[in-house]
Amino acid sequence: MSVQLQIEEYHRPRDQAQAIEILSRYGKRARVIAGGTDILPLRPGVKKSDSIRHLVDISNLGLNYIKKDHDRIRIGAATNINTIGASPLFSSGPYQALSEAAGAHSTATIKNRATVGGNLCSASPLADLALPLLVMEAILVATGPNGEREIPIESFFKGANYMALDSDEVLLEIRIPQCPPKAGTAFVKLRRQQTAIDMAVVNTAAFLTCIKGRCEVARIALGAVAPISFRAKKAESVLAGAELSEGIIQKAAATAAEEARPIDDVRATAAYRKKMVRVLVRRSLENSLQRCGS
Amino acid sequence: MKKIDIRIQVNGTWHELAVNPGDRLIDVLRDQLDLTGTKEGCGEGECGACTVNLSGQAVLSCLMLAVQADNGTILTIEGLQKGSELHPLQKAFVSEAAVQCGYCTPGMIMAANSLINNETEIGESKIQQHLSNNLCRCTGYDRPVKAVLKAAKEIKRNNNV
Repeated sequence: MSVQLQIEEYHRPRDQAQAIEILSRYGKRARVIAGGTDILPLRPGVKKSDSIRHLVDISNLGLNYIKKDHDRIRIGAATNINTIGASPLFSSGPYQALSEAAGAHSTATIKNRATVGGNLCSASPLADLALPLLVMEAILVATGPNGEREIPIESFFKGANYMALDSDEVLLEIRIPQCPPKAGTAFVKLRRQQTAIDMAVVNTAAFLTCIKGRCEVARIALGAVAPISFRAKKAESVLAGAELSEGIIQKAAATAAEEARPIDDVRATAAYRKKMVRVLVRRSLENSLQRCGS
Repeated sequence: MKKIDIRIQVNGTWHELAVNPGDRLIDVLRDQLDLTGTKEGCGEGECGACTVNLSGQAVLSCLMLAVQADNGTILTIEGLQKGSELHPLQKAFVSEAAVQCGYCTPGMIMAANSLINNETEIGESKIQQHLSNNLCRCTGYDRPVKAVLKAAKEIKRNNNV
């Protein structure tokens, strides 16, 4: 049997205020739990879970929803990944990359429990949902002792397994600003084996808008090739304003590979990852371009 | 450590239990309720041997705490048959010889059960997708997929009678 979680107390707050109060009281010994799929697989000596003595369950705080307002989409932090993958809001049109990332995230069984908030707050550099949300420039809404605050997703990730929230803050919602209806987005993931359970060797997302073959806005996000998921801004600037040819897409993909700072690990070598960034960025740009309404 | 009182329905019967905050659902099913049909393989969510149904959905009982299942409706492999009559999935796993050592079988069948209950059109690729969290190291996946297909057809036929 695997190691058991050494939890002293499991808290089930009735509302946000109570959740914040409990988190403030226990500081770094407490951790928010929703689905639990990232907290429970315990490996002895893994830092992130060793010091946790209090779990604060946010699954009854009404954070499970997807809503479309006139100018944005709002996703509750405790919404599970299957719900996002199945939502007609993302299955076609400019938000398609989110649907693709949800589909590729893991297995159907895990996605019944795993949540979008957990995928972001674990701050894994491999997190699939982070990438479409980066290229869609999502705003993350969190609450804490000083009230609500909004954090652009680009400044949310601070390092491998570290993110911008304080230990007494709770992520409430992911807000996706309205994408231009003619934008095209795509997500691509490479795994060692093409099994649903495997994590990314490299993952990428892209966002394009264009008029008559000329690129207006280009956004590219890279995962698993740095301590955090990030936007490849140099590659984006290669495309902005340019005529979208095969050559320019190749050039942007090569630039993105230069921006990647991968490491050797159990899944792949750094050199292989750099090569694959080039391939995956090209594919996600090509897919985005195909989906662009001109 | 503060024990927590929970109430869970397992295979049709409500249980009131006091659990440790760190007890996983699989620990409570196996050690408190003696339902040892649910197996633990990896304990990390990779192998799927511990799959049960919670509110009709397939979940991994090693990746959730018992307290998270509070007020929930759980179905395990023991609750599938009606009296002495095996469930069509169980029958199909026997007739298709989809079992070798059998350790992965309860999890596979419970993953398949949620698929059959939640989807109307079930083909091979959908089954493969749905069982992608269930590893088998003996027979491979061909026979289990055929067994699920056979059971799905039979259940559909029975429902239409």
